[in-house]
Amino acid sequence: MSSGINRRRFLKTSAGALAGTSSMFLERAPAIAQKRELTFLTFNHFVPASDDELRRQAEVFAKQAGVTVRVDTIQGPQLFAKRAAQAASQSGHDLIVTGAADPFLYEQQLVDMGDLAAYLGDRYGGWYPFARDTCQTASGWRAVPWFWVAFPGCYNEVQFKKAGVQPPKTWDDLLKVGKILKKQGNPVGIPISHCTDANISFWSILWCNGGKVLETDGKTPAINSDKAAQVVEWYKELYRDAMEPEVLSWDNASNNRFLLSGKGSWIHNAISPYVAAVEKKMPIADEINHHNSPGGPAGIHSATGVNSLAIWKFSKNISLAKDFIKFLYQKENYDSFIVGGSAFNQPPLKRFAEHPIWASHPKYAMLPKEAEYVHEQGWPAKPNAAVQLIVVNFILPDIVAKAINGMPTKRALAWGEDQIRLAAQGKLETKGKT
Amino acid sequence: MNVGVRSRGARIRSAVFGYANMIPFIAFALFPFYYMVITSLKKDAELYNLKAVPFLIQTGVITDHYRYLFFKTEFLTWMKNSLIISVVATSVSLVIAILAGYSLARLRYRGVGTFGTAVFITYLVPPTLLFLPLSQVVVWLGISDTIWALIVTYPTFLVPFSTWLLMGYFRTIPREVEECALVDGASRMQTLCRIVLPMAVPGIVCVTLFGFTLTWNEFTYALTFVSQTANKTAVVGVTADLIRGDIYYWGSLMAGAVVASLPIVIIYVWFLDYYVSGLTAGAVKG
Amino acid sequence: MAIGERALEATELARPSRLARVREWWEQEHVFGYSLIVPALALIVGLVAYPFGMAIYFSLSDYWVGSPGQFIGLRNFWEILGNEIFQQTVYNTFVFALIAVAFKTVLGVWLAMLLFRDFKFKRLIRGAVLLPWVIPTALSVLAWGWMFDSLYSVVNWTAIHLGLINPPGPNWLGLTGYAVTAVIAVNVWRGLPFFAIIVLAGLVSIPREYYEAAEVDGAGSWGRFRHVTLPLLKPVLAVVILFSTIFTFSDFNIVQVLTRGGPVNTTHLFATLAYQIGLTGGNLGQGAAVSLFLFPLLGAFVFLQLRYIRRE
Repeated sequence: MSSGINRRRFLKTSAGALAGTSSMFLERAPAIAQKRELTFLTFNHFVPASDDELRRQAEVFAKQAGVTVRVDTIQGPQLFAKRAAQAASQSGHDLIVTGAADPFLYEQQLVDMGDLAAYLGDRYGGWYPFARDTCQTASGWRAVPWFWVAFPGCYNEVQFKKAGVQPPKTWDDLLKVGKILKKQGNPVGIPISHCTDANISFWSILWCNGGKVLETDGKTPAINSDKAAQVVEWYKELYRDAMEPEVLSWDNASNNRFLLSGKGSWIHNAISPYVAAVEKKMPIADEINHHNSPGGPAGIHSATGVNSLAIWKFSKNISLAKDFIKFLYQKENYDSFIVGGSAFNQPPLKRFAEHPIWASHPKYAMLPKEAEYVHEQGWPAKPNAAVQLIVVNFILPDIVAKAINGMPTKRALAWGEDQIRLAAQGKLETKGKT
Repeated sequence: MNVGVRSRGARIRSAVFGYANMIPFIAFALFPFYYMVITSLKKDAELYNLKAVPFLIQTGVITDHYRYLFFKTEFLTWMKNSLIISVVATSVSLVIAILAGYSLARLRYRGVGTFGTAVFITYLVPPTLLFLPLSQVVVWLGISDTIWALIVTYPTFLVPFSTWLLMGYFRTIPREVEECALVDGASRMQTLCRIVLPMAVPGIVCVTLFGFTLTWNEFTYALTFVSQTANKTAVVGVTADLIRGDIYYWGSLMAGAVVASLPIVIIYVWFLDYYVSGLTAGAVKG
Repeated sequence: MAIGERALEATELARPSRLARVREWWEQEHVFGYSLIVPALALIVGLVAYPFGMAIYFSLSDYWVGSPGQFIGLRNFWEILGNEIFQQTVYNTFVFALIAVAFKTVLGVWLAMLLFRDFKFKRLIRGAVLLPWVIPTALSVLAWGWMFDSLYSVVNWTAIHLGLINPPGPNWLGLTGYAVTAVIAVNVWRGLPFFAIIVLAGLVSIPREYYEAAEVDGAGSWGRFRHVTLPLLKPVLAVVILFSTIFTFSDFNIVQVLTRGGPVNTTHLFATLAYQIGLTGGNLGQGAAVSLFLFPLLGAFVFLQLRYIRRE
């Protein structure tokens, strides 16, 4: 009856395994019972030192407040699924990082931050209007801006010098110098593909030419205009004479590699290529410099991404989370956060922008100035649900890609207008109307 | 399978033909893996050098990427989690699927066809957004943010698949064998365990392997139901820590992929050999 | 051993205890049958039925990620039907699935036949051929992305150095035809072992006598394949094609990592579009409608296929 023994043995071992795993699971329980735990979900910063600094500060705060603070980091794009799941199950972290339309999408789920926003704004010289706009919904502040990311021109000084050209001040300049640079074997690059950077550049260029995607009301399409047509024509020329077809397939990382490989001479991007090159001690770091985002007939405008901090209503630690946010915004803490992020984390509060890291570093000196003309995507409309759909469906770069693939510009714009109408049609009904 | 008497020449020709045919398959299957290994052992400077030969490592083999993976991330913890989750979820699913598969394939009772279809239809449910309501269930069960969240939810996609695959194999076993056993007085459970299961070993091995692989590679649930670094699985952990904004840690990412696939490859090679060569001998004769 | 067992049962039958009556009840075919599927049904009812019901409800409501919506009937479905991106996605999915499954079927059977033979380095070769299925997709697809990279593509490098194409070579993920090819190639690469191994198990279970008989009848290797292997493989093939089709229809990772639906939505599949609209876009209702759109059709397909399998 060997099978009997086998069965018994199996039962025993499986019960043992079960007990083992469950005890592993229970181990943590006492720790939770002892101390309150504040949890914070954010994306992993591309400069690891920035995350280290954040965790260090969290540790200090935890000691002061007699609690534990857990900072979980995941890859940025994974946050969409995470936020949606936490809202659906009404459980998860206390504090989460939000961006773009999130404060609007999750308006009913997030704690009102008006008190905190007023406190911090008064103390540190006020919020930049573009930062305020991303958090202030019809029913009030649903998040507080944490840091924003500038999108300047990143270029290779050596290649520019060799071609005898200056960094572009306008988008038309870019076309001119791009043609020369491409002949030299160093094309420029703006992605025209399904990626975040492709969106950001399109908004910037469109605004500089006086165009807009949506009217201020946030639902009437405004893309089908002569100004937008000029932008598409400009793109076509840039694609043909100053870029290479690879821009049609780029993701967010491709333009970084393009510049760092020594092939590309200019990209429209955050300063991440330079920071990464310095960190990895790549010789090309010396050749890279930045200049302010180019302008156009309608002035200088540049799109940005503002990262904000929000607290779920289901959190059991709302006031603790607010204390933690206050702590993060203490002058010395925010200053070291800027340093930790190698000048990448730009403050939404005016007083913090006076940090020496910018003035003292020639390649960063122009960065604070970007604050004067950046807007969140969607401007002049608020970054509402319709804007979110336009952005994530990559409608804007696709208009350009269609035109490049041979569709008449007018038809491409009409297609875009149609898509924008569809996006605005399913617009989220906001509760607290003003 | 060349049982009959054939000339030596024909046999050699057939062998040469076989190997020649195998080469493109092997190249196609292996090249990406080779490329991953190469990338994981290369210096970043060489990886990003446009003039370098992408196939080779010309400026020296380095282990930095592996060191980063093992010492700067919690890769070993993630591997351990993946292993526990995969083993437990697969075993549980296997037991459930054997019972259900046998019942649906072999026994006659009212509604058997409907049940079979129902089990299958669950497999059609598009998984993309299913994790949202499922995350509610996980919270109701009080297991969110633990590895139990995954152990409990993984059988939802393993059981339908395994059941159906096993049904297919159970059907290939001649009924007479079972009927003989029943006539001899064995109980139904005994017939299943002693007669049917040994004959369905290839199917069971197949289902185990696939179940293990599916759980090991699962991404969405592992991402959304678990947040703490200490409870993450290998796949989620590696992508969460080594893709930072627009910077990819290619070397370490590929190192993670290589190390994370090795344990399964070993299991596969071992099992497969066992079930293919062990059974060609004719265990499945009618 | 068998005799001992029977003797034991005989003595138990002699004194009809409650246990024996329970056992007798349990031995009835329908009772036994029902009880065996109870665990599976419990799992499905407990963990699949509710989420699935909710997904259907999402698709019939104007549910957004942060705000539970109201019932709006089939409006989401009408809206996506009128959307050009969705129409493109339907087309993409069918082209993608048809081509990929066709390749996997032919190559899979072929590969299984090759693996079935006796040859040297059997273990190594079988292991090698299986690798694509084993490597975590989320990571292996990244490697493919790197292989198709616009700057560092090893595919182009090789082709250029073999003199097959002119530099810089095609932009794999940026031009429609190439991007579709790339996505299908990666899908086939990944799904082929699944096919081959299941078919291999089917081959293993074909009794050798059939081949011997066929050989005696003078059948060549093609004849044996056509008249013995193929007919006997049919049930296994039907199941594996079914699964593979479903896998392929619901593919997500490959497109999400390689192209995110680009260029201009020509590689979007249902899963990626549903994710894009429902999660990153926040319009859960419409996202659910996209992902469920195919369900009735797939359901019908499966129903027919199952009937066919059962009749075999």
